[in-house]
Amino acid sequence: MRRSIGTTAVVAALALAATACGSDGDEGGGGADGELSGTVTYWDTSNETEAEVFQAVAEDFEEQHPGVTVDYVNIGFDDAQNRFKNAAGANEAPDVMRTEVAWVADFASLGYLYPLDDTAALDDQDDFLDEAWASTQYDGQTWAVPQVTDTLALFYNQALLDEAGVEPPASLAEVEDATAAFEEAGTTPLYVRGDDPYWFLPFLYGEGGDLVDAEAQQVTVDDAAGVAAFEQMQGLIDSGAAITDTSEGWENMMSSFANGDVAMMINGPWAIADATAALGEDLGVAPVPAGGEAQGSPLGGWNYGVYAGTPDADASFEFVKYMAAAETQTRITEELSLLPTRASVYEDPAVQGNEMVQFFKPAVDVAHERPWIPEAQSLFEPLRVSIEAMLTGSAAPDEAASDTGDAYRDLLEDWS
Amino acid sequence: MATHTTPRNGHEPEGTAPPVRPTPEAVPGGGLVGTGRARRVRRRGERSRAASIGLHATLLVAALIAVFPPFWLLVTSFKPKADTFTRSLVSNFTLDNYDHVINDTEFLTWFGNSVLIVVITTVIGVFISSTTGYALSRFRFPGMRPLLWTLLITQMFPMAVLIVPLYNLMARYGLLNQPTGLIVTYLTIAVPFCAWMMKGFFDTVPVSIDESGRVDGLTPFGTFWRLIMPLARPGLAVTGFYTFVTAWAEVAYATAFMTGEQNLTLAGGLQTFVNQHTQDWHLMTAAAVLIAVPATLVFGYAQRHLQSGLTAGATKS
Amino acid sequence: MADAVNPRGTAATAAPRDGRPAEAAGAPRARGPRRAPGRLRRKLADYWYAWAMIAPVVLVIAVIIGWPLVRGIYLSLTDADESNVERTIGVNTIPATYDFVGLENYADILRDNTFWDRLGWTVVWTVACVSITFLIGLGLANMLNRNFRGRAAYRMALILPWAIPAFVSVFAWRMLYNERNGILNSLLEGRGIDGIAWLSDPVWAKIAVIATNVWLGVPFMLIAILGALQSIPGEQYEAAEMDGANAWQRFWNITLPGISSVSMTVVLLSTIWTFNMFPVIYLLTRGGPAGSTDILVTEAFRLAFVASPRDFANSAAWGVLILLLLVLFAISYRRALRRQGEVW
Repeated sequence: MRRSIGTTAVVAALALAATACGSDGDEGGGGADGELSGTVTYWDTSNETEAEVFQAVAEDFEEQHPGVTVDYVNIGFDDAQNRFKNAAGANEAPDVMRTEVAWVADFASLGYLYPLDDTAALDDQDDFLDEAWASTQYDGQTWAVPQVTDTLALFYNQALLDEAGVEPPASLAEVEDATAAFEEAGTTPLYVRGDDPYWFLPFLYGEGGDLVDAEAQQVTVDDAAGVAAFEQMQGLIDSGAAITDTSEGWENMMSSFANGDVAMMINGPWAIADATAALGEDLGVAPVPAGGEAQGSPLGGWNYGVYAGTPDADASFEFVKYMAAAETQTRITEELSLLPTRASVYEDPAVQGNEMVQFFKPAVDVAHERPWIPEAQSLFEPLRVSIEAMLTGSAAPDEAASDTGDAYRDLLEDWS
Repeated sequence: MATHTTPRNGHEPEGTAPPVRPTPEAVPGGGLVGTGRARRVRRRGERSRAASIGLHATLLVAALIAVFPPFWLLVTSFKPKADTFTRSLVSNFTLDNYDHVINDTEFLTWFGNSVLIVVITTVIGVFISSTTGYALSRFRFPGMRPLLWTLLITQMFPMAVLIVPLYNLMARYGLLNQPTGLIVTYLTIAVPFCAWMMKGFFDTVPVSIDESGRVDGLTPFGTFWRLIMPLARPGLAVTGFYTFVTAWAEVAYATAFMTGEQNLTLAGGLQTFVNQHTQDWHLMTAAAVLIAVPATLVFGYAQRHLQSGLTAGATKS
Repeated sequence: MADAVNPRGTAATAAPRDGRPAEAAGAPRARGPRRAPGRLRRKLADYWYAWAMIAPVVLVIAVIIGWPLVRGIYLSLTDADESNVERTIGVNTIPATYDFVGLENYADILRDNTFWDRLGWTVVWTVACVSITFLIGLGLANMLNRNFRGRAAYRMALILPWAIPAFVSVFAWRMLYNERNGILNSLLEGRGIDGIAWLSDPVWAKIAVIATNVWLGVPFMLIAILGALQSIPGEQYEAAEMDGANAWQRFWNITLPGISSVSMTVVLLSTIWTFNMFPVIYLLTRGGPAGSTDILVTEAFRLAFVASPRDFANSAAWGVLILLLLVLFAISYRRALRRQGEVW
């Protein structure tokens, strides 16, 4: 998941006071189109730049349905998962929640989400990209509707690559080989996040490994591929091909990249705005460098979930349908360059002209799906601790891998 | 009780003598330099030049360390984002950060919420910790020792663990998104310490005052309210300040119990600039300065009393 | 706490013994018909003022602390987690399905090395923070307890950290500590010294969190001790000087006893606060790197909030253990004080 939503602050200037101001008639009479009424409270977790757009989009729903009031609330991404859980257990939850892909199974398993199969919320569901759709499934039912999708990619500084005479590397081996060339140019090839395990996933997938095998109910992070991934990460640091920190990783990564202290970093579409601001024309984006076995980056993104206890279920379904509709997605993509989740939206000329979308779409197509299990989010904390232990020298790579594996077996009872 | 009858000697110019004498006029401001003390200082104060330099050097270093982090925040708040981590004091001076924080966020709403919550919390907190402190100081009643212990133990609570049960409690009684919920919570954080301290403070007020009140036919409440409270100003100042700071700067409960920007307090709202996953140090610093300024003003007002009030409270606890 | 002089005592003795003593002191009559007074009623009449004055605090504490405490203790004896506690979702209420497991959670925690590791560091952290803070506070207070030019300014500067909300200060420190861009390292590097991995190295991270907490805690100590110093009568020093006591003897025999009462209290309080100092650790290092700065409270928080389903029973058990440790500490501390003749 995107633990660092990056770019700018979470809070934007948002007045709520969303009062429906229906102008065009037909209220008061159960019309054939089923007049909707009620209030849809929508918790959004997007960052500052995104929030303005999402709020405008959400509130435009009121124009289509004058009887419905949309109450847009932006909550911090940091503790959004916990806050929703607190609220949902206390019957105080919003009607619609922007749900990270790894949260869906968690919320659904606790009974907090409304099963959406055969409701108005699902519209033209075959149009959704398969990989985005997969994260909405749990226990044979559909619990959410995809909003945006994303993955990680390699961001590079073209000027520094030119100076070092290096092409964008296709593999981590190439990165290491280029270390000397970059050193001559007075820079380090790569920044590696040491404080956020999401950024570790490309190394893991690159060695052909995974955190767990959900189907076989098996922990795989400490198998040979997992150990190789830890070694790969440590190797990059030891060889001087990469720098890292176990604190302030986001800040240091962005400033090192902006200052030219590093030539490349791995990041997601949410960092495009900041990186462009820093590098301008010099910013290039390429697929995540491959490891020893494969090239892989984790699939991320967001969905809409409907609270199981919503008093205005019909309005909420209709709201989700509207938010996930092709036109709305096109609008969001045009304004924010976020990746839509509907195949048809990619056909739209406006979207086809979007450079970032055109780059990230192929990357998303091959992105590595994560296990959509309730514990998906919980897998990160033990991993973070192990990576920090390895990077600070208190654990060897294989120890880090086996510590993580042990923690997972505690977490996932009965898994082998 | 050991120092109960010991005359106090807090005669420094800015400090305030705890009101051991039943003359309310002697309490605020002080301004009197005790002769005994002055004599002592002169006699003891025959410092060598080297000692004097050492004294100033040490204090200067300590003061610099104390002031530097807030000072650096202030300095950084006037730098644009790209220069946040530069070492120079001034680089591309700008007020944009403040402009953004004040104009592009719900700053005024948060400020209003904070003031409302903090003022009510402080008023109620000071009042009930005074009555409790007074009761503990003057009366001996069943439940007194358990109460003293409860006040102490209450401060031992790992609040991080309490937050979910409290959330459920608030939800059950419809107090989420209500100032009342936060006020009540802040009271439980601030009042135990304050009551403990007020007890100690009242212990330093001679019982003869209570007796004179009773002779005049006042009820215990009347005595407390008309005679004792006016003498308790330093203690009230500490209590008030402590409650104020607690409520003003609290973040965890504010963000947990309040959803929606229009309900947040200042610290809760501005905390969104400084969370784990953003790098908006430039906005954060401006926000931090804006939070700190009112707190510092209240502090500047209360600090004259802090010393005597806190000491009296702590001595007698 | 001389009973003879307290107003309640007087009122009670002055009152007729028929259960309505309060009237003598002008309080409202005891309610109800004039029956023979029950014990409770007599007590009520006797202690009416005191109880009324503490009622608001007792009420607030009972509701906000008492209820979660009782519930917490109960939960810690069960296997409750997020997926089996009672929840109300819309119109449906999912009943609780957790079971009573006795002391199993406690046994698990106490068998696990994590607890002992965290406890060890928590003790080190608390002792280090409190003692350093106290010593610095004592030293500075002694310096400020003299007459010299500029002491008001020094004092103001030294207690400034108290005025800044703690979470703001912590973020300021994070900014200073930043390994690559922070001012501390750029100052060091400016002198040709290698930068220090303040928050990324397990040892330095410990030093960094302690330093920050000391910085936050000194003003409180300073002010409390300064006030205590000023309550020591000057005559004592004069007498000692006439007897030829040197500065050290004066400090040892007059100053220290004079501030001991205040010191005992602030040390107790600050121990309690430091033991549970969640924000400093959490905001500065999140317990990292690799848990090396995790104290008991941050670990309990992690248990309760990071893993899914959130483990309410275990985090409650941790909370109860933390509370027990602190209560034990307070009791033994108080015993020790009593032995030294302090009345507390």
